[in-house]
Amino acid sequence: MGKLNTSHLIEAMAWVAIAALFFIYSFEFNQKIEIYKFGATAWPRSILLMLMLVIAGNLFYQRANGSTPQPGRVGISEDDLDDAEKPLSSYLNIGSFLFLPLIFAWSLKPVGFYAATPVFTALVIILLGERRPRWIIGITLFIYAIIIGLFMIVLNAPLPQGTVSPFYDFSAFMLRMNNQLQNMF
Amino acid sequence: MIENFLAGTAALFGDPITILIFVFGVIGGMLFGAIPGVSMLTLAAILLPFSAGLEPAQGVMLFAVIYCTGTYGGAITAILFNIPGAPENAPTAFDGYPMTKQGRAGKAVGAAVLCSAIGGTASALLMMAATEPLAKWAIRNIGPPEIFALVFFGLAVASSVGGNTIWKGWMSVLLGLLVATVGQDPVGGINRYNFGMTDLAAGIAFVPAILGFFAVSEIFIQAEKRAFGKYNAPKLDVNFPTFLELWRYKIAVVRSILVGFFCGILPGIGATLAAFMGYGEAVRWSKDKESFGKGNLEGVISSETANNAATGAAMIPLLALGLPGGALTAIMVAVFQFHDMEPGPLVFYNSPELIWVVFAAMFYANVSILFIGLIETKTILQLLRIPFHFLAPMILMLASIGSYIGRGLVLDVMVMFLAGMIGFLLRRSGYSIPGIVLGIILGKIGEQNFAQGMQMVHYDLITYLSRPICLILIVAGAITLGTGVYKALASNRTSADQQ
Repeated sequence: MGKLNTSHLIEAMAWVAIAALFFIYSFEFNQKIEIYKFGATAWPRSILLMLMLVIAGNLFYQRANGSTPQPGRVGISEDDLDDAEKPLSSYLNIGSFLFLPLIFAWSLKPVGFYAATPVFTALVIILLGERRPRWIIGITLFIYAIIIGLFMIVLNAPLPQGTVSPFYDFSAFMLRMNNQLQNMF
Repeated sequence: MIENFLAGTAALFGDPITILIFVFGVIGGMLFGAIPGVSMLTLAAILLPFSAGLEPAQGVMLFAVIYCTGTYGGAITAILFNIPGAPENAPTAFDGYPMTKQGRAGKAVGAAVLCSAIGGTASALLMMAATEPLAKWAIRNIGPPEIFALVFFGLAVASSVGGNTIWKGWMSVLLGLLVATVGQDPVGGINRYNFGMTDLAAGIAFVPAILGFFAVSEIFIQAEKRAFGKYNAPKLDVNFPTFLELWRYKIAVVRSILVGFFCGILPGIGATLAAFMGYGEAVRWSKDKESFGKGNLEGVISSETANNAATGAAMIPLLALGLPGGALTAIMVAVFQFHDMEPGPLVFYNSPELIWVVFAAMFYANVSILFIGLIETKTILQLLRIPFHFLAPMILMLASIGSYIGRGLVLDVMVMFLAGMIGFLLRRSGYSIPGIVLGIILGKIGEQNFAQGMQMVHYDLITYLSRPICLILIVAGAITLGTGVYKALASNRTSADQQ
């Protein structure tokens, strides 16, 4: 086993699972192309083959060196969290921070950008540790104003309006206000 | 040439509306490049419908100017926040961000301003002097095999300069290439890996992927450090490098101009690969290789000179052959089409005044980077004063808009945040984010040119490799790859000996 540990094996298994998933799915489009002898699967399967070779190389390296970076590499990631205290609350905090944007992205279709943005902005500020209500509200409104001012008023960029009432009605109200403002000039 | 340039200058500065559009392009490109979370592509996507109402020369000139100044602007966020404004600024972050952490942000940004201006201006001059002969040379000597060979070489360079090991560097690149296979295959148009989702048939757009891997993952990394009490605010410093400090890197600048210009000429390659190659060559020729990635000013200089040197060169395949060299030049093709024109050799004969207005505007845009950039930079550096918990939601919101605007799909916002999560986990494990991004960008180009090249040589590998430029690039890529693998195996042996 050398310096291989459980996390190295899990990492390798995750990569192999990705490669296996893509390989299995490649049968869905395993069709011939009249003008191209190698077909639609040759390129992705070549990548998967190379990926398997590189995964093996990586495991071989980790068996000899563990997680130590290869000497002379440029742009390597630094792990300065090793000596940090890691209470459960911090893990919960970072876990919430990772998933909150996904919920925001999912909500964009039904709720729309105009209604979802201030809620998301305020939650991000809270998750990053700000607890003073005045600051949370003030900065949220400031960011909202900048974004609405730049993208809606100045650049007229089309943003998701939502499909569910009352969020859709709110977006319609915002756009009506913008129209009136544009007509004034 | 000088007469044409003067005529272009007169047309550019002789009309107040054209001047306004030029100034808007210069400032807009710099700002959108320098605001973390959005990029010049966001601005270009928003402005595209408006360009239909402009004169053809004004429309094309506006996007050419945004390309020049936006490429520079993206360096600022790469240096200050480790969030490259565009993929071509990714190598700038390798040394630029460590310099910010060391309190040398001013030096890095100052060098980026000057070198972007030098690279861009030199490229604009070369473009004006040699567009036609270079286009003729490119038609004769550069085909799909050469482009594929350059993509291979570029990916080999990218894998060798990112990630904790050569293996992780390659795994990152291969992941990017795999992501690029999602959507229709470039030869037969067969749907691949869309997992039953119609929106995925068009593939994964690279703007959301780039924003996710660079901007969102960086926010997550900093948020994690904050949660564990290890967050250190970047240090503010507005001391620019002196002329003597920069003079030491004159050879790196010249080398990067040549590398950047060569990459820019090649259709489909553009400034991103130029920046990686410029950086890679700087590392290769340096006597102090170990200092790269730890705050070596030469890293910033090489990358920024090369990517701006590619901007002028990228106009050559666009204007002379009608082939875009990157995302922004692809948008410029749409601007031509809005006005019932097709970029290509005929433009030089049918609309020479348009060509020279664009050339003159690019020249002046690069010169203005130096003056406006230095003033703007002093202001932009103040962004470092904003506390992270106020800056982060702003960046996330801007990135959401930036990823949505390109295609108007909520799926792209989802892709961006997923890419951010994956990028966060991969960065924590020592993988290379620039490698993934370069894989995504070059994947389709590589596959398309490989297939076309193979069809050209009737699937005969010997004929494929008998093309001299192709052979040189493949060999150079193989040497880069072989050296990296050899070093990794050598470190295995060293570890075994120590045990």
